[in-house]
Order: sequence, then structure tokens, then C-alpha cells
Amino acid sequence: MREFVYHPPTFRQKLDAALAETRLRLINISRYPGQLVMEIIIPLVFASMPMLLGRATAGADAAANFEANTGTTNYVAYMLIGANIFTIVTSAFWHVAYWLRFEQETGTLESIYLTPTSSVTLLSGVALHSAIRGVGSALIAYFIGCLIYRVNPLQGDVLIALLFILVGLIPLYSLTLLFGAVVLKVKESNALINLMQWVVSFLMGIFFPIAILPKVVQLIALAFPPTWMINGVRSALLGVGFFFGEWYLDLAVLWTFLLITPYVGMWVFRRVENNLRRNEGMGQF
Amino acid sequence: MKGQVIVENLKKIYLSKQRTGLFQSRTTEVEALKGVSLEIKAGEIFGLLGPNGAGKTTLIKCLTTLLLPTSGAAWINGYKLTEEDNAIRASVGCMLMGERGLYWKLTGRENLDFFGALYHLPAGERRRRSSEIIQRLHLEEIADRAVESYSSGQKMKLAFAKALINDAPILILDEPTNTLDVPSARELREIVQTLNQEGKTIIYTTHIMLEAEILCERVAIIDRGEVIAQGAVVDLKQSLGREKVIRLEGVISESALRAVEQLPGINRAALAMLNGHNQLTVVTAEESNLLPRLIETLTQHQALLQRITPEEVTLEDVFIAHTGRTLADNTSLQ
Repeated sequence: MREFVYHPPTFRQKLDAALAETRLRLINISRYPGQLVMEIIIPLVFASMPMLLGRATAGADAAANFEANTGTTNYVAYMLIGANIFTIVTSAFWHVAYWLRFEQETGTLESIYLTPTSSVTLLSGVALHSAIRGVGSALIAYFIGCLIYRVNPLQGDVLIALLFILVGLIPLYSLTLLFGAVVLKVKESNALINLMQWVVSFLMGIFFPIAILPKVVQLIALAFPPTWMINGVRSALLGVGFFFGEWYLDLAVLWTFLLITPYVGMWVFRRVENNLRRNEGMGQF
Repeated sequence: MKGQVIVENLKKIYLSKQRTGLFQSRTTEVEALKGVSLEIKAGEIFGLLGPNGAGKTTLIKCLTTLLLPTSGAAWINGYKLTEEDNAIRASVGCMLMGERGLYWKLTGRENLDFFGALYHLPAGERRRRSSEIIQRLHLEEIADRAVESYSSGQKMKLAFAKALINDAPILILDEPTNTLDVPSARELREIVQTLNQEGKTIIYTTHIMLEAEILCERVAIIDRGEVIAQGAVVDLKQSLGREKVIRLEGVISESALRAVEQLPGINRAALAMLNGHNQLTVVTAEESNLLPRLIETLTQHQALLQRITPEEVTLEDVFIAHTGRTLADNTSLQ
């Protein structure tokens, strides 16, 4: 009989496992190159629709009318930012929630739960893959969009805009954990994600400032981290105005989300996970 | 010697929804394991036998931490179930769900590398282990092809390879020869035997009793969530005492079976389908005196007999002796 002594994984080993999960997803998507192209085209089409509608309805006064309500004449960049941040948010929901459902259906979810890698590590790997894809395609689409509509993509404070995206990613993925827990529980992803992405697009104001929403809806929107993300990026690049006047105050709110939401997300996810193990198991779909 | 796997009075009850209409369902409690106790020694091949739906996979899922047991306790490699789950996962190599546990868009080698990383193996060791396993299972030609292009048998082999990636002291194999052709199944059994000789403890679930007889030193027979017999294969067969087994093949009806069951001297009788005809297995204590009466009763019930063979007791006979059913009968708990 051989002796076996278990050594809990080091941080390096956990990182290695998370990166293996990221690599697996990236290899997988590399076998569908058409989808990667679509991920760049979709936000461009998505942003073009309200832009063209604006031009059709307001004509030559489009920019002036837009400035009166938003604080910027650059409605093209405004829409492009909105559509591309929405891409980051919606891919986060799709990649995490649909990942769980897909692996449940194919049988690989049980396979990875047989290993000593914790679900937090696995989800970190999935989130990293999603962030690379989401942010990557959003940036490319933004630059292509600016090129097509002839606007300067690097106006304003680009570093602050990037900071808002990066800090906003962690609370965003924490939210997707909550959502993933719901998907595991109700064993359905497509309808839920479809519904969720339209609610999210409305609350974060992808094509309009949330100031035009009723007060109650505004409060709900402000409890949602992507709203701070999108407004932070627009304010940094286009000067539409931070919610608290200064960029660091708005960023501090995102940091607060960052400190709280991962624990809430993991706590809920683990409870659902244990509940499933107590009952029919993770693999039952 | 203290067991490497100890299971004490393990129970698993879960809620199952039964559809009663388009949008209606009724929740019922299913008792999948009814107090299972086992002890598996280090270095043995232990068979978990039983028909489909007997509770074998539920037990395996509990032991591999996929399911939380409702009550009872278990220790795997000295680590307590539900308290030291990560240590248990690291010390066990599993082949569950067969080909469904693989990423079909990835190559065989990429699958092994990925799972190696999840067992926290360093990159160099993952590459070495993957190549070693690929060579051992003769997967060289297909290792760098996407799994989706594999045949069913090749996928099963890769699923088996995945169970070996962490070089764990315990291997749990759930019906590993399913979908394999005869030579591949034989080859896999030989590899299992070699791994056992190298020191691995193997828990092997199957509903094919002959396979268990070839491989296992000791077995537990599970039926309807309970261990109905447990021990060395030889001892279990001998436990039937002086009982003899007669097999009759041909066209045999259920009414003929019922008539045979009424005959004096019959301990058990079970009917199964085999290669398009019926096979009646009779367990009796008085083979020679019984045979003429048996044939007479069957012919009176319009049975057309093609072959009569008094046989050695098999594990299947042990199962029949304990349950009155053959393994072909589905004993699904739902």
C-alpha cells in the first residue's frame, strides 16, 4: 500500500488551475473563429441603430440636441461606448451562466467537480477567459467603430476609462455568480440570460443617461455596478459628468462593490452548490 | 489490515420530481442508499455489482464527493467524507459518466493536460504523465485529434486515461467497459489488473457478473440501495452451499416459470432473455432428481427447450439466490 498525503494547493497551483480553465475556453473558442468575428461586428451594428435613428429624427441638429441632454455632442462615441460596455457585461453573463448550464448538459461539470480544484478557482478561470474575450472584442469594435464614423477614439482621459473597466469587472463577475447560482437552481440559462441582458441594458443606460429615468428606477440602476462602469468610461472620455462630480469618488463606489459583491456571490453560489449535492447532484439536468 | 475505504451505514435520500401533467409535478422522496456498509482493503480489486438502478452509481457519487450523503460516514484513504473532500478528490482517480466527462472540441492530449492542471500537477509532470498514459493505452495515433472524431470505444479509453492522470492510489471505475468491443474490453481489464499489481486499489462497478468474476477478489452485490451480499467471490459462490444451478434455454413463458417455482426442491428460479430466446435459471438442492419433473412441467406449459445445462455456480446465481431476479431486470428505484 502506498502512502498518500494530501497537500492543499499553493497559490501558484491554484493560479495554474485557473489559467488551465482559461486556456481550455480559449482553445475551445479558437475552433469557432466565425463567432469571434461576430463578437466584434454585433456591438457595431448595435451602436449604429440608435445613431442612425438619431440622425434621421434630428437631422443636422442631432449633435446639439444630444448635448443638451447628455453633456456631449459626440453621440457616436457615446453610443459606441454604450454598446461595447454592454458587450462586456452581456458576455460576462453568457460566459458564466451558459458555461455552467452547458457543462451540466455535456457531463463535464461533474468531471471537473471530481477534482480537488475549488469552484472559486474554476470560476476565476472562466471569468478571466470571459474578460479577455469581452474586453478584447469591445476594444477592437470601439476602435473600428470610431474609424468607420470618423471620431477620435482616444479623446479624454483614456487611463481613467480603462481603470473604470478593470475595477468594474470584479463586481460584474460577482453578479454573474449570483446569476449562475440561479441557473444551476432552475436548470435553465437561455431564457434567463436573454431576459437579464435587456433589463441590464436598460438599467445601465447603454444609449441614454440614466438621469432621464424615473427616480426609483435610477436608484435601482445605481445599485448595479455596470451603471458606474459605463458612466465612468463616458465621463472620462467624453466629459458627460461623474455621478459624484469627481472620477475618484465614482471609482470609490466601484471599489466598494468590488469589496462586497465577491463574498455575496460566492456565498450564494456555494449554498446552491451544497444544496444540489445534498439532493440530486450537480450533473442532473 | 484496516480498510483503505470504509463506509459505515451510508444513506442517501433525495427528492425527485415526478411529472403529473404539463405544468404539474409531484415531489417524492427516493431512498437511493439504505445504510450501506463496506470495507475495501488496500491493494484489492473490489467489485460493486448490481443491476441498473441498484444504487451503485449513487454510492460512487457519494464516495467521490459529488453527492452529500444524508447520513452515515465514510473514510477514503483515511480522509473523512464531507470534512476532507478535497483530500479525497486528490486521492482518487475516477472514471464516471464515460465519454460524457470529456471536452469533445479538445484533443485527447489537451483533455489530459487540462485535468492534470485541475489535480494541481506541474506543467512538466502533466506532459510526462499524459504521454505515458497515451502510450500505455495505445492512444498515440488519436491523441492529437479532437475527441469529437473518436469512436465510442476510443472516447471510453480516453475517459479511462483521464482517471489515471493524477496517479491516485485509489481508482474508481464505473462500468468502464460499456460501449467497448470485446478485444478492447479485454485489453482494458488487463490494464486494470496491471494497475492493481502496481499497488492501486480499484473499485470496479459493473452489472456484468462475469467481468467481476474475472477481475475482483471481493465483491459487494447491491440491490435496491442495499448490500445484499458481500465477501470474496469464492466464498459467495460457496455460500449457496450444496445448491446446484440448472440453466434451460428455449421458448419459455412466464406461466411456465410460475409452475416451476411451485415445484418441490426449487429454491429459486428466474427467467431472462438471452440472444433472442429465454433462459431459465433454476437454483436447486437436488439436481438429479429434479430434472425429469422440471422438463415435464415446462413441456406441459408449452415450453420448447433447446438446451439444458447443469452449471457451476456464478455470481449471477448468487444474485438470483438473494433476490429471485436476474441482473437483466431493471430495479430502478424510481
